[in-house]
Amino acid sequence: MDIKSFLELEAASSSEDSLDLRSLDLVSSYDSHLMCPICHCPFVQPVRLDCDHVFCQQCLGSAIITFRSADANEFPCPSCRTPTTRISMSVPRLLVNMCDEIQVRCPSAEAGCEEVLPRGHVQSHVQKYCGFRLVPCPDESCGKMLRQKDLQTDGRCLHGYCRCERCSEDVMERDFEDHDKVLCPSLEATCNDCGSTMRRQELTKHAETCSEVSIPCAASQYGCKSKVRRVDIGTHEAQCPLISIGPYLEAQNTRLKQLELTTRHLQQRNEIFEDGMASIRASLAESARAGNGARSTQGGDRDRARTEVDESTEMANAFSSHTTQYLLSLHESLREEVNQMSHALTDLDTRASMTIMNECLRIKEDMAHTNAALNSVRMQVQWLMNPRLHNGNRANVMRANSTSNDSSRTSLTSTSVPGPSSNGASSILGSLRPRRPSDSGREGTKL
Amino acid sequence: MASQKRIGKELSELTASPPEGISVELADEADLFKWKVFMNGPEGSPYEGGKFLVNLTLPNEYPFKPPTVSFGTKIYHPNVTNDEKGSMCLGMLRADEWKPSSKIAAVLEFARQLLLEPMPDDAVEGRIAEQYKSDRKRYDEIAREWTRKWAMSGQ
Repeated sequence: MDIKSFLELEAASSSEDSLDLRSLDLVSSYDSHLMCPICHCPFVQPVRLDCDHVFCQQCLGSAIITFRSADANEFPCPSCRTPTTRISMSVPRLLVNMCDEIQVRCPSAEAGCEEVLPRGHVQSHVQKYCGFRLVPCPDESCGKMLRQKDLQTDGRCLHGYCRCERCSEDVMERDFEDHDKVLCPSLEATCNDCGSTMRRQELTKHAETCSEVSIPCAASQYGCKSKVRRVDIGTHEAQCPLISIGPYLEAQNTRLKQLELTTRHLQQRNEIFEDGMASIRASLAESARAGNGARSTQGGDRDRARTEVDESTEMANAFSSHTTQYLLSLHESLREEVNQMSHALTDLDTRASMTIMNECLRIKEDMAHTNAALNSVRMQVQWLMNPRLHNGNRANVMRANSTSNDSSRTSLTSTSVPGPSSNGASSILGSLRPRRPSDSGREGTKL
Repeated sequence: MASQKRIGKELSELTASPPEGISVELADEADLFKWKVFMNGPEGSPYEGGKFLVNLTLPNEYPFKPPTVSFGTKIYHPNVTNDEKGSMCLGMLRADEWKPSSKIAAVLEFARQLLLEPMPDDAVEGRIAEQYKSDRKRYDEIAREWTRKWAMSGQ
């Protein structure tokens, strides 16, 4: 079913004259799942949406009227806000049965009907069976309403008046029974305190004067708890200490009230001042923030702060100068800190360069030492090499001399020994020998 | 009529079994649409120990229109306006967010939750929200001071 036909149906059904099931007095508790989330009552004529949420037909109708935007074809579900276009009128029979089974009291319970019955039966009970429902008077000319149970079998109108014989008052026939037994003022009643009997209508007047009635002490508002019979009240009041300080207490009371009033007034004023302070503080904080943003134009900031302050009250003036001073001092301290930092930096710099210099010097010295050592080693090597070179030369010369001696000696002895072979050998030796010194010399240079 | 029935029901439920730290009464016995709610500052928040008066006003169209919530006690909070009205900004109370199935108990519990965890991104007091985000310590301090000043004197 779409929205339009649903609303039409809803309008039609609500015009019917039926019992309001929501106003019934529930006797038993019921499952919370049976409660309509809109009216918080057990479902009445439940309907279902596509998102499976269930509402009373009437509640959903009001929800659609409220939430649908200008004749749109859809509305949000009142539980989950899913856009919905269709409404299903059929809900599980189980749900309807459970709702109908909830025990309720008859709506005429106040009139005296003691019936407790399932909610599903209430409608028919009220319309057909309840003795306390109102029905039109059988006398059509009367036009008044009458309770079903009072309806006489002969169809007589009970709205006529008849006179009570004792109090000479006109009473409607319908109410005569009640009047006769309970309400008639001429009935006799007994005073509970003094035991005397009198007419009911005089009883209240009697209670004001009855000497046996206990009445509270006049100082009861100040804490005297005693209740005394009216005869004895005079003697009690003469003795009661609270009576004598009564006037004083009263004066105190009024004073307290006045003071309270003044305090409240002052509190209000104080609140106003507090608010003012807070707003001033806020504006100052803002201006301070702006000042930090552009520190270079501090003078300008001060001017700005001052103009702002001029707009506000005198109190703010004192406040702002205080804050400007604070800002200035803050600035000073920051500058000092920066100075200290730069000092420390230069200090560090010089120290670092000093250490570098020292290290350099040491290394240079070391290098000089190493150089010297190297030189001395070279010198020693040269010194060591030199004699060997000399020796090599000398040996060469000496060896050359000796071979010439040998050959002369062999030429001398060649006559005795067949010598061409030995002569040849010595010549070979002589040609090989001279190379050696050059070899040793080469070795020397290698060293 | 239907709304009165529902309001009466919710009121009796709330008075019979109130949520933690919340008590409810009618501002005027004859008017079902104006409630006085007393909310204790939740533990662990700077509002702890304070007792805040919250005025809850229900529209005639309730539950189809949302109730309005305002603080009768001054409170330092990003989501509560800092004026006499003390209006509270609750997402679920906006007309387009409200659902008829929401209950007043849920609204009150949500408001109390907001005391515990303010939502600075959804604030009505930008200054307090800024402070809440940037200088949480100072915010706690001021909120505690305000609580001491306004919410503890038993007014």
